[in-house]
Amino acid sequence: MRARGGSKRNNGFRALRIVLFSGILLTLALIFLVSTLGTQRFGFVHKLIFETTAPVQAVLARVAGYVNVAREEYLALFSVREENRRLWKALQESREAANLNREALATNARLRKLLEFKETTDLPMLATRIVGKDPSLWFRTVVVDRGSSDGVVKGMPVVNGDGVVGQVFSVSPNYSKVLLAIAPSSAIDVLLQKSRVRGILKGTGSLTYKLEYVLKTVDVQEGDHVVTAGYGGLFPTGMPVGVVSQVVRKRRGMFLDIEVTPTVDFLTLEDLLIIEREMEFTR
Amino acid sequence: MVTVVAYTLLGLLLAVLQTTVPMFNPMWIGAPDLYYVLVAYLAYRMDILRGLIILFPVSWTMDVLSGVVLGTYPAICFIAFVLLKFTSVKMPVRESLYQVPFIGVSYLVVSKFVYLILSFMEPGVLAPWSWPTVLLRVLLLVVLAFPLFRLFEMVNRRLQGSLIPFKMLRVQGGNRYRQEMEKK
Repeated sequence: MRARGGSKRNNGFRALRIVLFSGILLTLALIFLVSTLGTQRFGFVHKLIFETTAPVQAVLARVAGYVNVAREEYLALFSVREENRRLWKALQESREAANLNREALATNARLRKLLEFKETTDLPMLATRIVGKDPSLWFRTVVVDRGSSDGVVKGMPVVNGDGVVGQVFSVSPNYSKVLLAIAPSSAIDVLLQKSRVRGILKGTGSLTYKLEYVLKTVDVQEGDHVVTAGYGGLFPTGMPVGVVSQVVRKRRGMFLDIEVTPTVDFLTLEDLLIIEREMEFTR
Repeated sequence: MVTVVAYTLLGLLLAVLQTTVPMFNPMWIGAPDLYYVLVAYLAYRMDILRGLIILFPVSWTMDVLSGVVLGTYPAICFIAFVLLKFTSVKMPVRESLYQVPFIGVSYLVVSKFVYLILSFMEPGVLAPWSWPTVLLRVLLLVVLAFPLFRLFEMVNRRLQGSLIPFKMLRVQGGNRYRQEMEKK
């Protein structure tokens, strides 16, 4: 009974303390409110709160700034990637166009050269293009895209803007095989342009010719031009064939050993002209 | 029949390929003799009759597209075929380990042999024999033999597993029951 009476007293005391504490707090709050609103003064408490919260604000603002920048950069990456793709495509298209232009220029130059050559002579000529090359190590031939249906006949001379390339070796309706002048089985009647001395130009299988049957008594110098002789009616007279690059006078024998460098660049052959001549012996 | 047609077409494709794509200029020496790998494959993997039937059009095509002496490529193809067939049957080079190097060796031997014959029969027609260029060709051939053999094997497998079972369509003669019993 006694303990219960003590407990009731304790509860009453606690309620009183709460009421007192709330009253004090309320009074202080009222005082603070009245003093603040009344005077509009930025007091000590304000400053304390300000000083405490502002650094946190600053840190958070900085973090938010970083996040924002990162987000923007991440989003920008998508557009950059798209831009990069677009620019690459544009670059590739430009490169392709440039390549085509270069190729067109080269073709133009080549064809112009052929045309100029064609205009210098009144012989009927047929433009043709190489479509295949002989892969063997022993023979030197190419396949061109003109044949008997275009009037091509075995034996017709084949030239380009620089000079003699070879002659037609075999013919089908739409294609022909051309024996290059550098082939070992090729032999062309030629003249030394300066001395008008005749000889036989033979292929060696490499990028040089051998001029045979020129007597030792003939004055041949390096740099002399070699042109077609026109005998036999196969090649027209005076077409450039090569330039003498070496003359060897051996002690034995009647003839000179003469090496001739072709005027035609056989490594870059593409477009050719077939000279349409009447080949009685092949018909 | 299908195998013969397929390999003939493949051979013709190789011949055309060889005379166009790897030939950068008429003097180019680095063009591998792709047709020769087919010759070797036929010698190693196919019977004589089918091998010869395939080689005829392929070697003739090479003859048309290259060279000035008709018969050069058929001679190379048939000599090589016989040589490789003989060695694959009679000699220990049946082992696949030796097969690829032997293709190179046989190429060298057959080339030299045909060159000697041609220079005897048609003097002044051939370019001078050059060991460095021929050895380069041998090297290219050996290097390309393995991937091309893989390709040929792949084609063979495809033909075996083709949608139309040609073997089933073939008319079989004789006593089939007895044949099957003999097989067992």
